[in-house]
Amino acid sequence: MPSYAHPEVLVSTDWVAEHLTDPQVRIVESDEDRALYVQGHIPGAVEIDWQTDLQDSVERDYIDREAFERLCAEKGIANDTTVVFYGDKSNWWACYAFWVFKLYGHENCKIMNGGRKRWELDGRPWSTERVSYPATSYSAQERDKSVRALRDEVLKHQKAGKQLLDVRSPEEYRGERTHMPDYPNEGAVRGGHIPGALNVPWPQNCQEDGTFKEARDLEKLYIKELKMKRRSPTIAYCRIGERSSLTWFVLKYLLGFGNVRNYDGSWLEWGNCVGVPIVKGVEPGGSVAAKTAPAAAPAAVPAAPEVPAPVAQPPAEPPSLGFGTAPETPPAEG
Amino acid sequence: MESVAARIDEVVEEFADLDSREKLEMLVEYAAGLEPLSPAYEARKAAAEGRIHECQTPVFLWTEADGDGRAHLVADVAPEAPTVKGFVALLAAAVVGRPVAEAAEIPDDLVERLGLGQVLGMLRARGLQAITARIRRGFAEAA
Repeated sequence: MPSYAHPEVLVSTDWVAEHLTDPQVRIVESDEDRALYVQGHIPGAVEIDWQTDLQDSVERDYIDREAFERLCAEKGIANDTTVVFYGDKSNWWACYAFWVFKLYGHENCKIMNGGRKRWELDGRPWSTERVSYPATSYSAQERDKSVRALRDEVLKHQKAGKQLLDVRSPEEYRGERTHMPDYPNEGAVRGGHIPGALNVPWPQNCQEDGTFKEARDLEKLYIKELKMKRRSPTIAYCRIGERSSLTWFVLKYLLGFGNVRNYDGSWLEWGNCVGVPIVKGVEPGGSVAAKTAPAAAPAAVPAAPEVPAPVAQPPAEPPSLGFGTAPETPPAEG
Repeated sequence: MESVAARIDEVVEEFADLDSREKLEMLVEYAAGLEPLSPAYEARKAAAEGRIHECQTPVFLWTEADGDGRAHLVADVAPEAPTVKGFVALLAAAVVGRPVAEAAEIPDDLVERLGLGQVLGMLRARGLQAITARIRRGFAEAA
């Protein structure tokens, strides 16, 4: 039976329960809804919020290196600390925080498999205590460009016909809507997907209890069915980069893809860009098809027939909440 | 009985003295106090009535007026979204029993006045603003 490529990045709730007071370990909760942490967290866990802690409040980017160093120092995280992330939503936001830590080169990062849901199902205790640790001194590295794809890189990647993965819902992929079912419009003016992108909605990585699927099931999906290649450069994207950080984690650490990056600008950027290619419908489309097709044929693209009328989206609708419950066909969390 | 505006002012004042963590604790407290749906509303929820579609959390809201034109905000929010649940509970407490016309005047900048923008970040705060707008509209239509 196949096993995960890097099983050491996943720890169980048992492991976490045994390391609650381990000074080498810092448990970090990252949630869609911040009040969940306040309502009850794993004893000794600190919170790092994707929006108010990890994102810059002025520029549309992550906090800079100095701010990241300050954040780690405040949370009692040293360079050699093993940081274990967990959270709601099958660890969406935990993977997102994990990804940002990798962006700044933190070495020992792990995910608690199953997140809040598994901890709850195991009947383990929640704590409401205020947690603080003595400040550390932390020195971050320059951003690691190997985990992040920026727009122009995605454009080049797309034009070269390399592996692209769209992890949004099928409705978003087909271009019928620009945001998750039941989620508000985040403000993308165009719907569809990046030409050539395959669609694997993120829930397909997870099981009912919030844990990741077994290695053989993930292999079956990505390698056998979709014929993706571990050695080919791959970029994953979603709407704001959070769901795709979970898929990034799965591809890189569980399946052992050698070169996979998260396009955190994702659809919120691409769907608003002037002059970038977009495909609607169920077919990936893309430049590979375009190259091989006769010049006059406009690639096997917009499979319009079975696509229902687009959902009307007033352009000025408020952006997303960033909290709440699972989207369509969720494997975990109601 | 105090007006909706007076009740809101009190809550705003109360929040003003709280730090981020305490604000979240307050929302969790409000969330715990949200009354469960009566069987009649459970049935309406099962029929997918009242669903707020702009909201990513499954939120069910009914902005009701009783025979005397008094406002009642009936709501159901998933437990995994205590922030939304707490905010909706806070609004329900602010409007209950007051004339619907007053309930329609919940300040549309309430989220900011409670200082939640900074606590939650802009994206989440916009979600709560959308809920505020939806409730204002609901009561305006009921008036």
